[in-house]
Amino acid sequence: MLDTATFDRLLARALRFGGDYADIFCERRSTYAFRLQDGRIHEGTTGVTQGVGIRVVVGEAAGYAYADDLSLEKLLEAAEAASLIARSLPGGEARAFDFTNVPVQALYDEHRSEHAHASRYVALLERADATARAYDPRIVAVNASISDEIQDVWIAASDGRYVHDHRPMVTLGVQAVAAHERERASGYVGDGGRTSLDYFDSHSPEELATDAARIARTNLDAVPAPAGEMEMVVGAGGGGVLLHEAVGHGLESDFNRRGVSLYSGRVGERVASELVTIYDDGNLPEERGSVAVDDEGVPGQHKVLVENGVLRGYMQDTLNARLMGVQSTGSGRRQSFRFLPQPRMCNTYMPPGESTVEEIIGSTKRGIYAKSFAGGQVEISKGDFVFMIAEGYLIENGRVTAPLKNATIVGNGPDAMTKVTAVANDARLARRHYTCGKGGQHVPVGVGIPTVKISSITVGGTHDA
Amino acid sequence: MREREALEIAAAAVDLARAAGAHAEATVSIARRFHTEARDTTISKLEQSIGSSLHVRLYRDGRRASLSTSDFSREGLERAMRAAVDQCAVVASDPLAALPEVCGAFEGDLALCDDALAQRDDAAKIDDVLQLEQLVRSADERIRNSSGSHYSDAVVTTALANTAGFARAYTGSRAMRSSAPVAEAHGTKRVGHYGTAARALRDLEGNEAVAALAARRAVELFGAKKPATMRVPVIFERDIAASVIDDLFAAVNAANVAVGNSWLAQRVGERVGSELVSIVDDGTLPGKLGSSPFDGEGVPTRRTPVFERGVLKTFLFDTYYARKLGAASTGNSSGGGIGSNNFYLEPGTSTLEALIASTQRGVFVLETIGFATEHATGTYSRGARGFLIENGELTAPIDEFTIAGDFAEMLAAIDGVANDLRFDGAVVSPSFRVAEMTISGN
Repeated sequence: MLDTATFDRLLARALRFGGDYADIFCERRSTYAFRLQDGRIHEGTTGVTQGVGIRVVVGEAAGYAYADDLSLEKLLEAAEAASLIARSLPGGEARAFDFTNVPVQALYDEHRSEHAHASRYVALLERADATARAYDPRIVAVNASISDEIQDVWIAASDGRYVHDHRPMVTLGVQAVAAHERERASGYVGDGGRTSLDYFDSHSPEELATDAARIARTNLDAVPAPAGEMEMVVGAGGGGVLLHEAVGHGLESDFNRRGVSLYSGRVGERVASELVTIYDDGNLPEERGSVAVDDEGVPGQHKVLVENGVLRGYMQDTLNARLMGVQSTGSGRRQSFRFLPQPRMCNTYMPPGESTVEEIIGSTKRGIYAKSFAGGQVEISKGDFVFMIAEGYLIENGRVTAPLKNATIVGNGPDAMTKVTAVANDARLARRHYTCGKGGQHVPVGVGIPTVKISSITVGGTHDA
Repeated sequence: MREREALEIAAAAVDLARAAGAHAEATVSIARRFHTEARDTTISKLEQSIGSSLHVRLYRDGRRASLSTSDFSREGLERAMRAAVDQCAVVASDPLAALPEVCGAFEGDLALCDDALAQRDDAAKIDDVLQLEQLVRSADERIRNSSGSHYSDAVVTTALANTAGFARAYTGSRAMRSSAPVAEAHGTKRVGHYGTAARALRDLEGNEAVAALAARRAVELFGAKKPATMRVPVIFERDIAASVIDDLFAAVNAANVAVGNSWLAQRVGERVGSELVSIVDDGTLPGKLGSSPFDGEGVPTRRTPVFERGVLKTFLFDTYYARKLGAASTGNSSGGGIGSNNFYLEPGTSTLEALIASTQRGVFVLETIGFATEHATGTYSRGARGFLIENGELTAPIDEFTIAGDFAEMLAAIDGVANDLRFDGAVVSPSFRVAEMTISGN
């Protein structure tokens, strides 16, 4: 979008007072989407977002400005605004930046640059709608949406790094609403990833719609969740939100450098049961959270966060890595050119263990089976978390029994991780539809986990346990 | 100045749509934003930018497509318009999908933009946030660290034009400050958060008050224990009360009602809440954050009583869902969907202290985490922290518990509303008490 001579000029202007480091994040994102409601295509949406964000780093401070007007005049104004963080410094030396291309991993279909014909998106939505409606007469409404996005980023940094990444993302989401007399319930399922519409040839809209309708119907028959402490079995795949909230956020380097996280300064210490190993991976092909390079131009990596219960390391972006004297782990991500990068998760998951699902459920006397989570949240300093269960059941005497209505789980990260008493051999990644929010910025992520047993957790229902 | 520029961009987009044989409305937003973060004695973030965006919604024979772009070049606009027109071809024709019959603006003075804020010097803002950070760090000896103090402001110009000839613009300002101190005691850390916002600098809660509240929130829950599982009265402190009211907004949002996603569907005219539940949506309150002269489609804003003494009077509509559900727009079109103006629970007469004092045994909720409310069923469930109330007094701090209930039962059981309403957001509420809810703990 901009040539290297422009990048050179902008970096020089950004560092006019001096500074440790400066970079330019240039982005163009094109979105193409449709929404189905009431059995027909309700609206189409297209969008083009483009702009340039310029950052100057001085110690732990960052100056930032963006422009969505790409004229040289406006870009230079943005570079000057970003430079103000360093205004008390004596002045930078004039120099040229010799850019070297950073090699980009082939993690996704990098050649695709145009959206498909409108009729293909519409057909996928209509197939999902028909399937969900046919599933059960009690399915009274279906809302479905599909979006196809291509994000191109160009990053140039004062250390000479220059990189272009071309990132596709498709998402198909289906919500089914079931109703019977005055009872209502809904089920939502989404999938996609950094790939093309062809993904839905093998992961059909029928499959998604059936699952959404099944969850809605199951929840219609659900009983109120019990209240109080009990055992919990976390379902394979979608249960991975547990790792993201209970541990992942606490290992992001900004919280740790600032000493805010309960995991600050604890690398090498035991923080979980020895059955617990957690990875965060930026380079799994096609996953939502994968980045060939992150939003600071550093290649996505495989990181060991926790190994056999021992804390191994944090997820680092460039700024915090510099201040902590380590290397970036390719975890610097941002929502768009309007935002400063933050250390973030990519795809967070636990590898398989040795138990079986049957053993885990069979050994549970009275507990909750959290098959998938709708989302969660964590408080970083003490590690308290909550999860909202999307699909959950009661376990009684080793058998999965009644479906439970809208239960919330509360716990404490290190406490829950210490109470992991079994890990099954069925590890898998969840369907690809998770988005993580932090400090007002949303980025796509992936999660995964095998079936895991936690010996005690608090279930927030309305009925006596 | 910016209003004229924004109106010109909107007019150019409307002309292009007209040339393509479509009816359309174009919204242009031009925003100047400033943000700074202080940590300890230094500025750790300084951000300032001017950003602009264009959203166009076009209608061709009842087929609707929308586009957004920040590329305002003639070629850029033409390309975006072609893509949207192409999309219209596969959208189902819907006779209800069309511009509003009548557009206009609330003509009173809404005091949306504070000149003192718009002209405030950057150096003053930097001094301001450094002072806040110092105040919060010296507020309590257990506070020796912070996750940062913030000051931000924005001046946003919004212009709307459509093919029916409507073209208006307005400019609003907003300032925010917040602080997140980290307290440490007995080997545990706690972050306290408090933030506030206002349209005018003179209405913004001062640094002293923000620092004191943020510090109190960081330290007051030390030693918190998990409570027993029980059914007791629950008092929601006003910030948390506002989040409950925000959840309720989703249920009166006509778009959710129309697609079967609201537990309030079919209940207009019914008594849903207690006598104390009067909830209003009002876009015409001068100087408030949720006010504006017209909504996202150029429909004048107004005051809409949504609940009156517990009775659900109406849902909140944009033009499309009003036609669909046989009503009139309430001026709630926002960003292509339905959004609130100032949406709030009417305050009561007693103080929060009196409300606590009149509670024999209960729970006072100061913070919640989690965000799942099942709007189709109206089930509420959150992780929470706060205090036990015993004999009318706050006693032991408690955490790691959940509060859960059914929304309809919660509204019906509101038996106390305090007088501490404060318009520091678009959706606000005074503190209130629900007579009985389930607390899950040990």
